[in-house]
Amino acid sequence: MGRAAKFDAIVAGGGHNGLTAACYLARAGLRTLVVEKNDWLGGAAVSRELHEGWTYSNCSYVCSLLRPEVVRDLDLPRHGLQVIPYTGGTTFTRDGDYFAYHSDRHALEREIARLSPRDVEGYERFALAVMRQCRFIRPLLLRTPPDPVAPGPRDVAELVYLLRRFHDLGPRETGEAMRFWTASVGDYLDGFIEHPLIKAHLAGSGIIGTGLGVYSPGTAYVLLHHYMGEVDGAIGAWGFARGGMGAVSGALASAFRAAGGEIVTGAGVERILVENGRAVGVALDNGDEYRAPIVASGMDVKRTYLGHVEPQHLPTDFLAAVRRFKIRGSSGKINIALDAMPRFLAAPEGASFLSGDLHVSESLAELERAYDDWKAGRWSALPYLDMLIPSRIDPTMAPPGKHMMTLFVQYAPYDLARDGTRDPAHWDEAARRGFADAVFDRIEAVSPGFRDLILHAEVRTPVDLEREVGLTEGNIFQGELTFDQLLFNRPVPGYADYRSPVKGLYLVGSSAHPGGGVMAAPGANAAREILRDAGRRCRAERAFRAA
Amino acid sequence: MAFDSARNLSAVVIGAGLNGLTAAATLAGRGARVTVVEKGEGPGGLMTGAGTGELGQFVWNLHPDALSEFGVSPADLGLGPALPTVALSPDGRHVVIEGGAARFADGAAHPDAAAYRALRWRVARFAAVLAPLVRMAPPRLGVGLMNRAGLPELLGLARLGLDIRRLARDDRREFLRVILSNAADLVLDAMPDGPLAASLAFDAVLGSRTGPRAPGTVLTLIYRHLQGGERYRPEGGMAVLAGRLARAAEARGAAIRYGAEAAGLVVEGDRVRGLRLASGEVIGAGLVLSSLGALPTLRLAGATHFDAEACRRIRQVRAEGTAGRLDLCLSAMPRLEGLPATLHRARLLLAPSVAALEAAFDPVKYGAVPGAPAAEILIEPEGAGARLSAIVQHLPRAPDGGWTTEAREGVIGSVVAALAVHAPGLPDLVREARLTTPAEIEAATGAPGGHWHHAEFAADQLLTLRPVNGMARYATGLPGLWLCGAAAHPGGDVTGLPGRNAALAALGAGVRA
Ligand SMILES: Cc1cc2nc3c(=O)[nH]c(=O)nc-3n(C[C@H](O)[C@H](O)[C@H](O)COP(=O)(O)OP(=O)(O)OC[C@H]3O[C@@H](n4cnc5c(N)ncnc54)[C@H](O)[C@@H]3O)c2cc1C
Ligand SMILES: Cc1cc2nc3c(=O)[nH]c(=O)nc-3n(C[C@H](O)[C@H](O)[C@H](O)COP(=O)(O)OP(=O)(O)OC[C@H]3O[C@@H](n4cnc5c(N)ncnc54)[C@H](O)[C@@H]3O)c2cc1C
Repeated sequence: MGRAAKFDAIVAGGGHNGLTAACYLARAGLRTLVVEKNDWLGGAAVSRELHEGWTYSNCSYVCSLLRPEVVRDLDLPRHGLQVIPYTGGTTFTRDGDYFAYHSDRHALEREIARLSPRDVEGYERFALAVMRQCRFIRPLLLRTPPDPVAPGPRDVAELVYLLRRFHDLGPRETGEAMRFWTASVGDYLDGFIEHPLIKAHLAGSGIIGTGLGVYSPGTAYVLLHHYMGEVDGAIGAWGFARGGMGAVSGALASAFRAAGGEIVTGAGVERILVENGRAVGVALDNGDEYRAPIVASGMDVKRTYLGHVEPQHLPTDFLAAVRRFKIRGSSGKINIALDAMPRFLAAPEGASFLSGDLHVSESLAELERAYDDWKAGRWSALPYLDMLIPSRIDPTMAPPGKHMMTLFVQYAPYDLARDGTRDPAHWDEAARRGFADAVFDRIEAVSPGFRDLILHAEVRTPVDLEREVGLTEGNIFQGELTFDQLLFNRPVPGYADYRSPVKGLYLVGSSAHPGGGVMAAPGANAAREILRDAGRRCRAERAFRAA
Repeated sequence: MAFDSARNLSAVVIGAGLNGLTAAATLAGRGARVTVVEKGEGPGGLMTGAGTGELGQFVWNLHPDALSEFGVSPADLGLGPALPTVALSPDGRHVVIEGGAARFADGAAHPDAAAYRALRWRVARFAAVLAPLVRMAPPRLGVGLMNRAGLPELLGLARLGLDIRRLARDDRREFLRVILSNAADLVLDAMPDGPLAASLAFDAVLGSRTGPRAPGTVLTLIYRHLQGGERYRPEGGMAVLAGRLARAAEARGAAIRYGAEAAGLVVEGDRVRGLRLASGEVIGAGLVLSSLGALPTLRLAGATHFDAEACRRIRQVRAEGTAGRLDLCLSAMPRLEGLPATLHRARLLLAPSVAALEAAFDPVKYGAVPGAPAAEILIEPEGAGARLSAIVQHLPRAPDGGWTTEAREGVIGSVVAALAVHAPGLPDLVREARLTTPAEIEAATGAPGGHWHHAEFAADQLLTLRPVNGMARYATGLPGLWLCGAAAHPGGDVTGLPGRNAALAALGAGVRA
């Protein structure tokens, strides 16, 4: 029998959302403990030295979604967080052409005109339309979704708030918002832009992390999910966290400790203890037990309720809804230590856009085929790649003269098909090599000699993401971002307010509204609800009210 | 009563498809002088290939409100009893669906029968919620809900809200969860994949350019169940049904002119004054209702009468047909193994699984012909022999290299081969085979892209967004010109609703004007 210590609140899972919630709870005066199964904190927001001298952001790799309200509230810059924006990006084609995206408007116009003069105006309309949707959705990120089915007084107030926002939009823009929310990113782009390469460049954000194709309805929203962030007030901009994405979790952990919080790492929660319908603590896999009347889980909804709560404590229809939750793995990641800066055939020497996001792609049809491969249980023969070389901007990522490349790959299946069956166990060494080869071949075509620069590569399939980070099936968002799993439907209908059928048990991770990404919004929102139940006002709440 | 003034109205309806006929009957029944101009030689539009024979096969969504405008009752139409559906199974254990219940063709209980029944019921309850919405112009959202002009809208919405509230709480949650979800997940969450599951997924994609995994297909499935989802085979076929309805419209006072092709609108002082035929003849009318798609209607009027934004939106309406029709002339009734003779004349479904349905759609995205397309089949005796017709779902409108003889024979061959698994004698019975492709359907009827719904039936082109944002309430923006075909709310299928709703909207506005 291990020791049993008492706390006011226990956070199960030290991902960035768990840490965010923990910070708010500790700062509201609750004696709070974070339990993390890994020896390190951060979940999918980590920096790890897996090759000597190199730092890998080995899951998430770029920062934009992190809510500025949370950064301010928790004073994260003081705890070491620095986000360095990068500008621009490029999509290379196999035949040596490219489209370079510039955040400078005039440079971008020139580049679009170089490929397709008619698209200059179309792009402008596209950017405006997306910005309008961003403005509409951003205020919703730090609000608890109302329950439209069995609304309590607060839900009614929230519903009225939403109705008024639609009303303020007017009929035409309401229509446009509805169209945006239901369209595919491919169809949406087809409405503005003609050139296939420009469309291919822009469409990537609509499929990252999802089990949907560019022509699947709902992917325009996924694009928005990647546009609604900001760096230093520049909406839609992305940046590198200095020192890797672990800097986000590191700053949160530091803020948490400064508020008196305690952290246990290297021991996983085995069971969330429930007595008489109330959460009373956690039992760890090392035998230790901790008691608290509040348990907040940063793990995804399936892992939490199907893996760590005994089923007799949960209503069967709730369990059925959790089982039904779609959390499909669709992405892989390769982290690479490079001997030198790779040369891209099409890029002029020292082109500034090489410090941004790099892709190899041709058209929407090609991206759609990559999705078809995934549906059939194969990794994409011609995958969508999102490559960045943060060491160009952040020297802490690699030794001088060397470089670090983070390489996100869409699509890779969780249950790989082989001989007519689908099974995660099919991801053996040979499969992993085959997957990496498909990716490297793609890069080699636009950057000959790339392979020779590789000193070390960490290949991460959805199965690895599941095993290490605990993301069920390796889904990077802790659950698909489709309408049936967004807003009041996230994670499951009736429980969008971060609560659960068990009193005192809350969900604080990305499975909850507003979903995945290094955003800290689910954690902050959940903390607000927890403190409300606990009868405490947190600073966050005042901050939110002021916002 | 507001409608009285319809007496001095003269109206022209373009197209004698079901919706044109319904619009005409609705207007004429209220006293307007109505002329229907139809470029084909007979009524029915997509039901009949504009009078050339038969394209559609079954009726499931014909709306009682539309029928009452014709002054006919369902009994007058010879629709007969509901047909059972047989979901053919590659392993020979065919599934029979009758009266909402599933069993094996040999009479044995189906392991998923209970799950199937529960899901059908649920879909039916959701359809009941949407039922009021299809009978009216889609609610205008975000507009003056708080003032008097917005009152009817508010009432409409409140009504919808009430209907949702009438559902049990769990149903309500489920409704709001699945309404924009995909059919594959909905069905496969309830039962394992197979012919029974595919029978539902088939309804969710029929006529659309989509696979069952695409979000939004649940909405299509619900739409297909607005009248219960049962299939009826009109006696004598679709052409007979179309003929009956055309005569009913004439009995209400509408004049129908066949072989009369609309060539342009007469617009004076920014208002429609009439219609010009290809022959040069001009028919004066204060109201013109067009059952053509959005783009053909825009072309008839001339783009100059629409603002640039409206033109752009209309040009971007997605309408790529994916359904074609196969007709086989057979020397005798074929025998399907594992199926009692009584069920040979059921609606036969060739869709072995949801996964196969999705896979059949994939090649279409890239302009290729699927190797194993899904199909909805009907076999009827004809003379000494039989006729087999099939709606083949998921054909490219324009395959790479065109609809060559080879491409056509590929489709015919794969459907025949899939059936021959169960009816080994079938290939020898085939006397004649004819495939009608989406491209040919477009040529024959003018339906944009040969599309079943004239405009893709997807959430971003439905309700307030159908056919485009700003034109959803049948008015086109050009005074006097209205949309009354499948491209308008609520969409296609043999329903009569767009025609009826549009006529009522036009009359309402006619009074106000
Ligand atoms: C490969 C990849 C790339 C991504 N790229 C980006 C990006 O560039 N930008 C971006 O904004 N987002 C990105 N994301 C998404 C984003 O990283 C995640 O959505 C987000 O980090 C999830 O945070 P979370 O705190 O909600 O959950 P998690 O990070 O999943 O945290 C859950 C925590 O719980 C722990 N845990 C699991 N089981 C137990 C247990 N039994 N006991 C105790 N602890 C347990 C886990 O170890 C983990 O630390 C990426 C994700 C992945 C996987
Ligand atoms: C292959 C196929 C099979 C189908 N099967 C079924 C089925 O079994 N059951 C079902 O419910 N639905 C079926 N449908 C869908 C259904 O038939 C249509 O959605 C519905 O009939 C549309 O009716 P409509 O009146 O709006 O348009 P249409 O039927 O297209 O009518 C438009 C009419 O306008 C005429 N026209 C076009 N241009 C001009 C012009 N310039 N001047 C004058 N006239 C013109 C056309 O000839 C046509 O008659 C099927 C569709 C297809 C493509």
